[in-house]
Amino acid sequence: MTLLHLVRKSAFETSDFQQCIDTLASGDQVVLLDDGCYNIRHQLINKLTEVMVVKVHADARAIAIQAGTLAISMDDLIDLTFKHNSVITWQ
Amino acid sequence: MTPVNEVDNQEQKMVAILNSKAPFSSTNGKDALDLALIFGSYEQVTSLFFQGDGVWQLIDNQDATLIQSKDYLKTFPALEFYDIDNIYLCQHSLNERGLTDSQFTIDNVIVLNKLKFSERLHQHNVLFRF
Amino acid sequence: MAVIITTPPNSNLTATALNYIELALEQGVNILGVFFYQTGVLNANEYIALASDEFQTTHKWQLLHQKYQLPLHLCYTAAEKNGLSEEKDTNNIAAHFTVSGLGELVELTSAADRVVQL
Repeated sequence: MTLLHLVRKSAFETSDFQQCIDTLASGDQVVLLDDGCYNIRHQLINKLTEVMVVKVHADARAIAIQAGTLAISMDDLIDLTFKHNSVITWQ
Repeated sequence: MTPVNEVDNQEQKMVAILNSKAPFSSTNGKDALDLALIFGSYEQVTSLFFQGDGVWQLIDNQDATLIQSKDYLKTFPALEFYDIDNIYLCQHSLNERGLTDSQFTIDNVIVLNKLKFSERLHQHNVLFRF
Repeated sequence: MAVIITTPPNSNLTATALNYIELALEQGVNILGVFFYQTGVLNANEYIALASDEFQTTHKWQLLHQKYQLPLHLCYTAAEKNGLSEEKDTNNIAAHFTVSGLGELVELTSAADRVVQL
């Protein structure tokens, strides 16, 4: 079964993102939202082959969405909730 | 209590409560334990996980009363009476904190490496983290 | 779906949660209920007065409740700890919230096909 991980904290501030990464399994997906958007700029992001970010949250913070990071909408987030078996929130 | 058969979904729920915070300075540890006990009392399959600073909650010889805090840690041994027997600690978190040789307040904790900790977490379909 | 809210009304994190819930409802997702725990219970305080140019969290909960009959459950033990009361003379819990206990969260979790913590 796959998990959708919602990361809402910056790795520059807490270890939530690190713990999330430690828990990832094949088929899981990670979405950065709220302060989780700052993780785009953190070296930990390189540990992920794929990562999504809620576009309006990154835009609000003037964090540019780099190539390799997929920008999604909140509507997409709802679809992702149902795509995976369960959700875990890192906050 | 309303019977669980008129619903969205018939799948047996396996609840995981992941503890990530140290005791006392926030209510997260107690709030997580209260939730675990309630799920247990409703006979829901519930497992506890401890990762990061969450592992501090289980070390022995703590005394919350010294800092005017309620000693909710004393309730951990009661988990077995609610059939909450699956208590997992993250090996890596223990190592980081020099806790590998520690005594824990619960006898039957299972220390897992990162991979197994993740695998075990993935066996649950409802996940809370405090 | 069931949602558990643990963030207070004046936090942007709660605005995110409301956004998510509203879009889910608009998409036709059946949200069995929202459960408020930890400082999330503060969302039920009738007397919250946010500046008029700020996001009106409490008003938003009320709108969603009215439009979709979205059940809003309050963990009463957490509520008391945070100064909320349902005693006759000191009642400060907004009417669209249902005073409940953690048992309600167990029921919601049991019945829902997805549980999201925000």
